[in-house]
This record gives sequence, C-alpha cells and structure tokens, in this order.
Amino acid sequence: MSRRPDIAGGEHLPKLRPGQEPPPPSWLPRQRRGTTPQMIGRYPDYDVFDAIDTWDEATKKAVLARLEPPGPLRFFTAEEEPTLRAFCDVATAQDDEPRVPVAEMVDAKMADAKLDGYRYADMPRDPETWRRVLAGLDHTARTAYRVPFAQATEEQRENIVREFAAGRLVGGPWDDLNVTRAWSVVMRGVLSEFYSHPWSWNEIGFGGPAYPRGFLRLGGPGREGPAVREPFERPGAVDVDPVRKDA
Amino acid sequence: MGTFWRGVLKGAVGPRDNDSRYLLDVHRRDLPGEATMRRYADDDEVDLVVVGAGAGGSVLAQRLARKGWRVVILEAGPFWHPDEDWVSDEAGSHALYWTQERVIGGDDPIQLGKNNSGRGVGGSMVHYAGYTPRFHPSDFSTFTDDGVGADWPLGYHDLLPHYEQVELELPVAGQDWPWGHPHRYPFSPHPVTGAALRLTEGAHRCGIDMRVGPVGIVNGTFGNRPHCIYRGYCLQGCKVNAKASPYVTHLPDALEHGVEVRANCMALRVEVDDATGAARGVVYVSNDDETAATSSDDAANPRRRGTERLQRAKVVAVAGYSIETPRLLLASTSRRHPHGLGNNTDQVGRYVMVQGATQSAGRWPDELRMYKAPPPEISSEQFYETDPDRGFARGFSIQTVSPMPIGWAEHVLADGHWGRALREYMRDYNHWATIGVLNELLPHPENRITLADETDPYGQPVARMDYTLTDNDKANMAYSSTVITKILEAAEAQDILTIQRFAHLIGGARMGSDPDESVVDADHRIWNVPNVVLADGSVCPTQGSANPALTIMALASRLAERMAHA
Ligand SMILES: Cc1cc2nc3c(=O)[nH]c(=O)nc-3n(C[C@H](O)[C@H](O)[C@H](O)COP(=O)(O)OP(=O)(O)OC[C@H]3O[C@@H](n4cnc5c(N)ncnc54)[C@H](O)[C@@H]3O)c2cc1C
Ligand code: SF4
Repeated sequence: MSRRPDIAGGEHLPKLRPGQEPPPPSWLPRQRRGTTPQMIGRYPDYDVFDAIDTWDEATKKAVLARLEPPGPLRFFTAEEEPTLRAFCDVATAQDDEPRVPVAEMVDAKMADAKLDGYRYADMPRDPETWRRVLAGLDHTARTAYRVPFAQATEEQRENIVREFAAGRLVGGPWDDLNVTRAWSVVMRGVLSEFYSHPWSWNEIGFGGPAYPRGFLRLGGPGREGPAVREPFERPGAVDVDPVRKDA
Repeated sequence: MGTFWRGVLKGAVGPRDNDSRYLLDVHRRDLPGEATMRRYADDDEVDLVVVGAGAGGSVLAQRLARKGWRVVILEAGPFWHPDEDWVSDEAGSHALYWTQERVIGGDDPIQLGKNNSGRGVGGSMVHYAGYTPRFHPSDFSTFTDDGVGADWPLGYHDLLPHYEQVELELPVAGQDWPWGHPHRYPFSPHPVTGAALRLTEGAHRCGIDMRVGPVGIVNGTFGNRPHCIYRGYCLQGCKVNAKASPYVTHLPDALEHGVEVRANCMALRVEVDDATGAARGVVYVSNDDETAATSSDDAANPRRRGTERLQRAKVVAVAGYSIETPRLLLASTSRRHPHGLGNNTDQVGRYVMVQGATQSAGRWPDELRMYKAPPPEISSEQFYETDPDRGFARGFSIQTVSPMPIGWAEHVLADGHWGRALREYMRDYNHWATIGVLNELLPHPENRITLADETDPYGQPVARMDYTLTDNDKANMAYSSTVITKILEAAEAQDILTIQRFAHLIGGARMGSDPDESVVDADHRIWNVPNVVLADGSVCPTQGSANPALTIMALASRLAERMAHA
C-alpha cells in the first residue's frame, strides 16, 4: 500500500497535486462492511443498507432493483459490447470486481428510451450518439495503436479518453459529431448510472434514502462529538478500524 | 397586514380563502378529493379551461373556483400519488421531469429536462428547490432605469398584496428581508447545516450579508402539513408535504371547490372560432383513451395516439410554462392567426430567458455532509441591482445549494475530472459545501422557442429553444463567479470546483403595452383575442435574479382578481 495521504489536509485531491494526478487508489482502506465498487472507499465501516428498515417501500423497491443481476444487453450489439464495457470502465476507473454494472444500466436506459428531455440541434438523439462514440473510440484506437479500443492497454485507453474529454478527437465517426457535446452526453449517462448505485454511496459515505426518517444532526463548525453524527452514520476512516479502536 | 404585524404574529397566521392545509390527510400524501372530484363533459361549456396544473394554472383555478367558476385543468402529466410514485432517490425521480424531446440550439444551448421543467399535477414546483424570493421593485422598469430589458405594464405594488397572500399560503419561512422592498416572512427561518454556516462565515468576511431563506417550507405547525424533516430531497419531490407546491398549497382547495384536474391529457391546440375571433375551447388527447390504440415507442416514427377531444370553455388560460406555452400557441393556427395564436406580430416564443446558475464548491477538513437539510438554505441579494462600477447592467443573487451524488458527479465532471480523479473527488463528497449564483440574463428577441421539424408521439411538432448569451450576460456571469470564489477563499476552502450552468425558465410570451412588442396585455390577455389568457411564467418580460415561482403564483393570483371583477 502506498503512503496514506493527509485527508484533512486534502493531500489526495487531484487539483492540489503535481500534474493534477490523483494518487493510486491503493492507499484506500478495503471495505469491511457492505459492498463498494472495487471494495475500496473512505467509509469502510458504513453500509447504506444498515438503515434499510427506515426507508419507505417505494424507495426501497427502486433502489433494490439496481442490485438485480444486470443485463443482458438489449440496445447495444455484440460488436459494440466490448468497447462499451471498456469505455465505462475507464470513465469510472473501475478496473476490478465488484463493478457497478454501468454498461448494462446505460444499455437499459437506451433500450427503454428513457432520455433526458433535450437534444442538441447539431447532434443525433442520445442512443445514436452513443453508437457513434463507440465506433469513434474503436476508430481512434485502431488508428493510434492498431487494436480495437477494448484491446488497448489501460494507459492507451486513458490517453484516448483524455483526448475525448478535451474534445480533440478527429477522423472517422468523430467528423460527424460535435465531440465536446458527445462527451457530455455519454458522461451524463455513465455518471448518473454509477452514482445511482448504492455501492457507490457506500464508497463516498452518502446517507442514502431518508424518508420517513429524515436527519436530525445537521452538523456545523464548533459542533463536536456524538451530537454531530446520526446513529447510523460512520465517520470517514483510513486504515484504523474505529470499532476495534474504541473497544 | 403590515410588516410590523407580520413580525409579531410570525407562525400564527394562516391565509384566508384557502383551506388546502386542512384538507390534506395527515397519514397519506395523496391530493385529497381525486376520487370524488367533480367531472365535466367535453361539450359542457365550462367557465374556464386551464392548460397546465403548475404554479400559475393551479393558483388561477383555485381562486376562480372560489368565485364560483366551473373550471377544468388539463394536465399532460400524471396525477401523482406521492406515497407510491415519489422516492427518496435521485435517479428514481426521472418521471417528475419534462423529458419529452426538445431541441436546443443557439451559441449557448440550454440543457433542459430535470434542470428546468416538470410534468404532472403540481407542475415544476413538485421538484423545484424551494427558494421563494420576491422580485425587486426595479425589476418592473429596467428599460427606463438602465436601458436594458423591458418595462412591465404593471408595477411591484400591483403584485404586493398577492405576494403577501401567496407567502402565507406556501408558507414562506425566512429571516427579515433587507433587500428590494424590505419585508418580513410569515414563518421563522429554518435551522441551517454546518455546510451553510461555513459559507455564511466566508460571505461575512467578504462584507456580504447573507440571510436564511426565504423558502416555501413549513417550519412549525401549518394545518395538516408536517414540519420539514431535513432529509434534503426537495428536488426529488417532497414526500413529506413540507415543501410548497400547488399539489399541497392550492389544488386541494381547488378540488374542494369543484375544479376537475384531468391528468394525462396533452393539449394540442386552442381552438379559435374564425367567425368571432374567440376561442371555443382546447383540443387535447387523453392518454387514458389510447390504451387500446397501438402506440409506437420509437419517436422517430411517431403515430398519433388517442382521439382528439375538444373541451369547450368560455375562457381559456394557457399555463404550460415558457417552452410549452409558446409551443401550444404556435401550433394553434387558424385563419385569423396563420402563424399561431397571438403571433401576428411575430412575438410568440421570443424573449425566453434562463438565469446563469454557476455553482462553486469548496472543500474543508471536516465532514460537512451537505446532503442534509433542504438544498435552499441561505441567500443574498446584495448584488441584485445595477452598480455602474461593475461594468454591466443589473445583477445577480447568491444562494447555497447542495447537490446529491449524481449532481455532485456532474459538478466534478464539469470542472474537468473523469476516471480516477473523478472517483477521488466523489469519495471526498462529505467534505464539500456548494454556493451558487443566479444571474439576471437579459431578454433578447433571438432567444426564442420555435417549432422543430420533428413531432412527438401525439403528432405535435416538438419545441426548439435557441439561446445565445449577450455581452452583458457574460460580464455578469464572470463577475459573479469571482464573488463566490472569494467567499469560498475567505471561508478558507482548501480546494474549489466550479460548474457553469443555467437554471429556471421565464418569458417566451411576454406582457407589454404595445401589441407589436408583446403577446399579452397587462391583464394577461392575448392581444385581439377576447377570451384567451396566459397564466404562467411565460408572460414575464424580465426576471430579475430571483427564483421565479413565487412571482408566477402572485401574478396568477392578481390575474384571477382581474378576471373575477371583469
Ligand atoms: C430543478 C428545479 C429547481 C427549481 N427551483 C426553484 C426555486 O428554488 N425557486 C423558484 O422560485 N423556482 C424554482 N424553479 C422554477 C419553478 O418551479 C418554475 O418557475 C415554476 O414552477 C413555473 O410555473 P409555471 O406555472 O409557469 O409552470 P409549471 O409549474 O411548469 O407548470 C406547467 C404545467 O403545464 C403542463 N403542461 C405543459 N404543456 C402542456 C400541454 N400542452 N397540455 C397539458 N399540460 C401541459 C406541464 O406538465 C406542467 O405540469 C425550479 C425548477 C426546477 C426544474
Ligand atoms: S428537506 Fe424538508 S422540504 Fe425538502 S424534501 Fe425533505 S422534508 Fe421536504
């Protein structure tokens, strides 16, 4: 494990680091309770499901549905699938199991045409944008590295996605797309799925559904001790087990 | 009631002539009266048909029903059953938004959907944040005062009694308000989170005054409306009934007084009698008719669903908000109005506006957990008015907000992070607090709603919205961003992430005193059409830097008074 950054001081924050490079995630503690993507996170002893008996039925149903076995793909084709998966992995830095099944979740959204309510005048509808982006990623990987995107190394894929984020990809399918807008369309899709998944809430320590329970402790400067924390919350931790430490 | 008495009687006075708060059920969130609601036949000529059960339409219907009018509201979206339909979850709230296709263009296209419009009984306020500031008196005369925007054909004092009445009905909670026309609120300010306190500290260090509220969220006892439980899901629909929306503030009383809310009914045209020039009613399609008809989910291959029906009415009020109202008018062509109803001087759809809504988040060593409590907490209108030293006309307001994880991911992405860097910032979520601005963007004729070539599943052309920022807009946005950055720095934020975005919609069918430059007169009536009024946010010629819902309701309340006495 690499050296643990000073969390309070913000040493792990990309913009405060040389080259804006995030630290390798190996400094993070392994999840001890519940599941997080790749079993890493800042709240190793927190599981949003510990409070599930305080959720209302409608919310419970909506959230638990996301834990159902994902897939199979209905919108994307077998040819598109490897590129789709590889792109979703790079975009969300998911390099290992357990994964939030972003690819399947995006696929379901496109298959059910659950779109966001707007389309740029110079862009196709979102499902078609997705198809062209996947074709474009493959095109760029083949041109630059002579392999399909899904077979490129992690570093190569990140290089391509970096150019995509900067709106700099050209050639082939990209010439029929406003690349900056295409980036915003696909990333909006990827992120709204990833962060709708309860595993990602465990990773970031988000309180999750809160009806009918609500929150009583709103925190604040100068407010310390047990009064700032709801009984079901767990503090952020790095590698100490707070349960055993307190014992 | 004078502002002195408002202070003394805080929390103790309810509105007259609106029993919504008592009609609600303590144990269920449903709008009481849906099952027993009065029904009208299509060919029964009612006194008023309203398109849209949102902020404006609901207030108008409730007021006139109290005067004995027979009213039908046609609402495109569903009749909500919050206990089952609404969830304490971001992604699960997708159905609340207007997600039917719209095309966005111009140099600065505005992202729509969850960002600015709702669909269903209660309209956009079902998932609005809850800020309820008034406009300033200066908003009604920006052209005379500063040579920008437009003058309204009415003034602040015409709206004042209605502001006061609607504030009692929501009811609004907040600190005494020093800006614009100083006033007090009927309910005390809510407690605030540590995150918001951090931001206030920073603002004070910069010499910026911030006040708690104003929000339309119950703080105390208000009939059968419960106190807020600080769960923070206001933008996902308040399952508690603590946050104001017409669904809880006006529609219960409306139903009690004989209003029919006909949900799942999409209005397609206002039908005008070419012989008289008056409207006969509204043509609509009910989704409930369509179950038998085969519908195509592929919007590229639309098929007209259901049969068209005409609800006859003596008066028609359109209240579909700034995109759908112009769309409906443009689609309502007739011999007298070949380019759309009220569009003979090419004004329908023009001067639509949004507000700049840049948000900056700051990072602190301790866990702030900004997801708790309603996102709207503390605001400032210190920069609302024109200050020649800033180099642009008009101003902006400052408000705290608090994105949930998906919103936070969009924020982090907008600052340029993806992959590992994005995950790192996302994991740091609990250490951040967010502050935003609302810039008054100026009305411009080329910022407009038109009809696109493609059609929706009803066969109706979809709306296209073009938007291009003016130089004044850009200067305002740039200046306001530096102000909130300074606040974060003064509060000793360790790192800052910024997202440039837009919020709210207003205008698109503005009121005025000259038919060549407006769509409706000071009484919201379409020029030269005796019996069609617009009763929503689309009539506003300018927007100030206040969130619009309270003003939209106050305008509808005033309109109802005018119509009742006409
Ligand atoms: C995320 C978000 C946050 C917001 N936050 C705030 C805030 O904090 N403070 C504030 O003041 N404002 C806020 N707003 C804006 C506020 O909600 C709106 O300005 C206000 O609700 C608009 O009122 P309206 O009556 O013009 O339209 P709406 O309330 O949108 O009502 C229009 C209704 O008409 C229906 N409709 C449209 N076309 C048709 C048709 N053809 N046939 C039948 N029905 C139709 C729609 O389905 C909708 O229900 C927010 C909005 C959003 C989306
Ligand atoms: S924070 Fe309060 S107003 Fe907002 S959704 Fe929760 S209970 Fe309703």
